[in-house]
Amino acid sequence: MRVMRPIARLAEFALALGILVILWHLLSVRVANATLLPSPLAVALAWVELLRTDLPADIAASLVHLGVGYGAGAALGLALAILCARSAVADAIVDPAMELLRPIGAIAWIPIAIVFFGIGRGVPMFLIFYASAFPIFVNTLAGVREVDRNLIAAARMLGASPRLVVTHVVLPAAMPLVLAGARLSLGVAWAAMVAAELTGADAGLGWRIFWYQEFFAMDKVMAVILTIGVFGYLLDLALRRLQAALTRWSADTRAEAA
Amino acid sequence: MATLTTPKIEARSVSKIYVSARTGDKVEALRGVSFSMKPGEFVSIVGPSGCGKSTLLSLIAGFATPSAGEVLFDGKPIDGPDPARGVMFQDYALFPWRTVRGNVEFGPMARGVDKTRRAAIVARNIEMVGLAGFEDRYPHELSGGMRQRCALARLLANEPDMWLMDEPLAAVDLQTRVILQDELLRLWGDAGDPAQRRAVLFVTHGIDEAVYLSDRVIVLGRRPGQVKEIVDIDLPRPRIGARTAPRAAALIDHIWNLIRAEAAQAIVEEP
Ligand SMILES: Nc1ncnc2c1ncn2[C@@H]1O[C@H](COP(=O)(O)OP(=O)(O)O)[C@@H](O)[C@H]1O
Ligand SMILES: [Mg+2]
Repeated sequence: MRVMRPIARLAEFALALGILVILWHLLSVRVANATLLPSPLAVALAWVELLRTDLPADIAASLVHLGVGYGAGAALGLALAILCARSAVADAIVDPAMELLRPIGAIAWIPIAIVFFGIGRGVPMFLIFYASAFPIFVNTLAGVREVDRNLIAAARMLGASPRLVVTHVVLPAAMPLVLAGARLSLGVAWAAMVAAELTGADAGLGWRIFWYQEFFAMDKVMAVILTIGVFGYLLDLALRRLQAALTRWSADTRAEAA
Repeated sequence: MATLTTPKIEARSVSKIYVSARTGDKVEALRGVSFSMKPGEFVSIVGPSGCGKSTLLSLIAGFATPSAGEVLFDGKPIDGPDPARGVMFQDYALFPWRTVRGNVEFGPMARGVDKTRRAAIVARNIEMVGLAGFEDRYPHELSGGMRQRCALARLLANEPDMWLMDEPLAAVDLQTRVILQDELLRLWGDAGDPAQRRAVLFVTHGIDEAVYLSDRVIVLGRRPGQVKEIVDIDLPRPRIGARTAPRAAALIDHIWNLIRAEAAQAIVEEP
């Protein structure tokens, strides 16, 4: 069973992909216009070529945007949540502000960010930063608030100082929700990155889509889009692995990872 | 100064009123509860559910403060939780992200015991409760009885002066419970020198369990929780292996008659 399941799942995945590619191919034959709908083969060839030429630099640029923006946004969300959990005053100020800003969504800030930073690396970094802060904030705050009071009482009864309670009870207890928040943040950050690069940047995968669109090179546009999909998936997979490794103790995450 | 005659615990007219932060509703959980415990004494608290047993235990643990009256430990007012008063929680409150070893080690770690001594303490206590071989399991990988043992090992590893236990055996099956009752008595020193024993305050709704284990049983009535009677359990020790003494049956009947009417009422009122 244990060995069969991943293989069976891989086969299922390959089958679904195969059907999709065939349908795509048939449609492209029917449309018969490479600018409107390039064939799968054309996209594959374009992809291979781009991987040797433009793509490595674009991927690197996007990862820099993501690293800076997501790193800062996740850190801020985490710090604000811990602050809110520890201080009623901070909670009264920060929580409503976050609830007000959250539904606006990062993309709405693109015009302002462009005016503020100019077309360039600043726009995607800022948007990623903005988008990442919220999910991890909300989840961390919930995680810290929902810590079982009995566990805190148990630690105090065993002789733990207030600081030890935070580091050895509150944080580990909140860890599953913090990591779930980190994954949600990464998802919205990735989407914000593509949007920001597409409209307000001069580097990165999103920007490259815009670039090839100007030349009506739809095969290359598609190749970049597929790259975005693959890298988004791989990043999420990495975080999921980290989540499973760090919360091995939780029956829930174990079931989810299986 | 604690002397030989200083009670381990002395509760003087203790009352506790909970006030809901949201609605301002008040619940009077305890009213005018007084009793004392000698060092090394095994005392049980019985009473219908909702009569304030857990509340009383949490006041003695230092998790909450009385609304009126006071509780003294070794003659001094209780001021917050203290490792000298070890607590075993009803749901065990094991740290789910720590293994058996990590849970048992928490107390000594928190109190700054050095690593090598800690390892010895942990090994000895895990062995003592019969969990050797399960050191690396997480709580969710343990059976109810094993979790209970783990919680007991965590309590013992901190070498508290007093054990506060909130229905520790409620969640295990009947046979396991009988075995664990005997183990608890053995660890406490049922057959040993009374001077070596720790004071135990044991909350249970099992009247036969309270009679089997205890030197005295405090019977609480409900709404609000008040002491109905404190029953001396004048059965000889050691008791392990002597569960069905006629005198025990008479004491069980006596206590049951004290709380029968209210226990029936509690069934109807519990949500
Ligand atoms: N933290 C709390 N806030 C408000 N009411 C509480 C709280 N804890 C217990 N109570 C109430 O106090 C009464 C006694 O509860 P408890 O001490 O848990 O009883 P027992 O352990 O005997 O079942 C109950 O009516 C319960 O609902
Ligand atoms: Mg209770």
